[in-house]
Amino acid sequence: MAKPAARIGLIEAMLVIAALAVVLRAAQLQLIQGGRWQDEAERSRKERQVLPARRGGIYDRNGVPLALTQEYFEVGFAPNELTGGARDVRLIARSLGFPLPQLQRQVATRKWVAIRGPFNGLQVQELRALRGVYLDGQYSRHYPAGPLARGVVGSLTPDSGRGASGVELALDSLLAGVPGEAVVLKDKRGQTYQSPSRIDREPTGGRDVFLTLDAELQEISERALEGAMAEFDAIGGDIVMLDPHTGELLALASRRTVDGQMVVNRATYFTEPFEPGSTAKLFTAGALLTLHRVDSTDRVYAEDGLWKMPVDGRGHTRLIHDAHATPGSLTLADAIRVSSNIAMGKFSQRLSAVEQFEALRDFGFSSPTGVEFPSESRGTLRMPDRWDGYSKPSIAMGYEFEVTPIQLAAAYAAIANQGILLTPTLVREIRSDQGLLLYRHQPEPVRRAISPAVAKRLLEYLRRVVAKGGTAEAAQLANWILVGKTGTVIRHDGGVYQSGHYTASFASVFPLTDPQLVVVVKIDDPRSGKIYGGETAAPLTRAMLEEALSARRSALDRSRLASPALEEAAAVVDDNPDQPAVNRVVLTLPVSSDSAARPGPRLVPNVTGSSLRRAANALHRRGFHVAVRGSGRVQRTTPAAGDSAGYGALVTVWAE
Amino acid sequence: MLWLVVFLVVAVAIQARQASAVMTARRLARLQEQRVALEAERAALQRQIRLGTSRKVLGDRAESELGLHFPQNSELRLLKLRSRRR
Repeated sequence: MAKPAARIGLIEAMLVIAALAVVLRAAQLQLIQGGRWQDEAERSRKERQVLPARRGGIYDRNGVPLALTQEYFEVGFAPNELTGGARDVRLIARSLGFPLPQLQRQVATRKWVAIRGPFNGLQVQELRALRGVYLDGQYSRHYPAGPLARGVVGSLTPDSGRGASGVELALDSLLAGVPGEAVVLKDKRGQTYQSPSRIDREPTGGRDVFLTLDAELQEISERALEGAMAEFDAIGGDIVMLDPHTGELLALASRRTVDGQMVVNRATYFTEPFEPGSTAKLFTAGALLTLHRVDSTDRVYAEDGLWKMPVDGRGHTRLIHDAHATPGSLTLADAIRVSSNIAMGKFSQRLSAVEQFEALRDFGFSSPTGVEFPSESRGTLRMPDRWDGYSKPSIAMGYEFEVTPIQLAAAYAAIANQGILLTPTLVREIRSDQGLLLYRHQPEPVRRAISPAVAKRLLEYLRRVVAKGGTAEAAQLANWILVGKTGTVIRHDGGVYQSGHYTASFASVFPLTDPQLVVVVKIDDPRSGKIYGGETAAPLTRAMLEEALSARRSALDRSRLASPALEEAAAVVDDNPDQPAVNRVVLTLPVSSDSAARPGPRLVPNVTGSSLRRAANALHRRGFHVAVRGSGRVQRTTPAAGDSAGYGALVTVWAE
Repeated sequence: MLWLVVFLVVAVAIQARQASAVMTARRLARLQEQRVALEAERAALQRQIRLGTSRKVLGDRAESELGLHFPQNSELRLLKLRSRRR
């Protein structure tokens, strides 16, 4: 047994070692591992929370809400925590519109009751004061205007709440906003305590987007399209309204029938191209005028509505017919007015394939328009080196290439805008969540497609289409002048044309003087017996404009429309404002006609190289009228030598 | 003794400030709840107004109940207002 002093010394040493161990452990925890334990303590005491940002709203040009984000709630409660008992249960059932007996049965189980809803702030307002009721709030998107413009507005993905289609997708980064971050304190039971001073970063709400759409015109378009589909027994259709001076899209309507159901949320005006038919004749006409290949006196024989067109030098022909057969010969203006495929086919021969292709490209075809939409078809237009012998007349008639309704509207807008093609747009303004203006659309010119003089002439051509005797006579208004062009094409499926199935269309400009609207109406497969654009799409355009004119508020500028319409009516269509005067050749009478006894189509003689006098004599003997361009030896004629023309048709002689 | 008084005054001031902050936070929370409820009410009313004033509802009722019709363009006259010169 050790001595007491030794034992005391031993105990003291053990105490010192123990104290040293405590100090060393403390040093280890605080100095060496201090950071880690501090983080651990923070984590157990605090919790970081993401504060969701409110998604920006989508409105029409006048502030009519089309898509809004609102806070919605799921409601849960613990029956044993309710202090009001049955009274609280009745209040919950009444506020949420939940069946009381069902709720009472759930309460009787004494288990947690969850009612998913979602319920809006108004519905849960009274429940906030109840003890034992817990609200789980989250932002949710809703569309106050219902199906109005849903194809444009689009939708969100159900899981992430990000844009899935339409403007919601195209402008998702602007609409989404930036989430905030906050720290909440927790106690040992996990209960959190919020405090305003603990917000690290406030959430920034998304930007509000004001579209160019006009809710009034949009509703008019959608209703009109649904009515037309019912009236004409059509399987679908598209309507585009566009401001030609700004490129702003004012209304976009699409309807399709799928499996007997009406589909309203597709943006087919951007995504589904179609063969434009005769509505595209104007673009070939524009090229002919721009390149001075045709003047107002040039005529081609209309072949009485049926023409075997030679497509190569080996005698192969294609049959072209006119739906509205016209006797005699036609000028370019006449060809547009009566929508003559034969005349346009003949006129198109004066253009090279490259010239015709470039003219169409200048009007924006075969290129996306650049509108702010996530998906857009560019249409189809083959390169000219892949065209065959029939392509030029076929394309002049509006076949062999495809355009979207939006491309067609933009091209007509270029004509209405003195030849300048603008980028169509859907976004008029973007504002911050505080209402500050961040962006305002300005017209974006793409290129000059045609000269102002040619644009004016094309508008004059369009005016004839809607005048008496034109194919769109049914579209004319009494007090304002609507101009436009009809189109009717045979539909194709998988590259095979479907006989008896048509796409009817009408592209128009309103009004002629100081245009405010370009309207494109397309009716898919009308099966009621009325198949032509002039019978279906044209009167529909007229009906929509009548509604727009009488609407309480619409994008139409009434002060500009209030100018006396008679001024427009009095405006005489100038046949040839930008062409030199026509020379006439004086002939010695009498002139004998070698074909007068046989009225009807006859071949144009070859007078190339002849003097003007000799050429005129030869043509007159054949029964043709003659107009002369230039002087000297004859270089060519229109119609060309070997072409057929009717008795009395005008043959233009081009000299050196 | 003076130190004690100073301590009490500071303690009371801190307590009052904390109490005020808590009250303000509660008021803020209530206002936010009211805002959410009012926004929901506004959205519901806007939806009703939009539906009630839509051409589908108004036009159909005007036609069926009042015998009205949408005017044709020949029945429309837009009057141009001239600005008054002083």
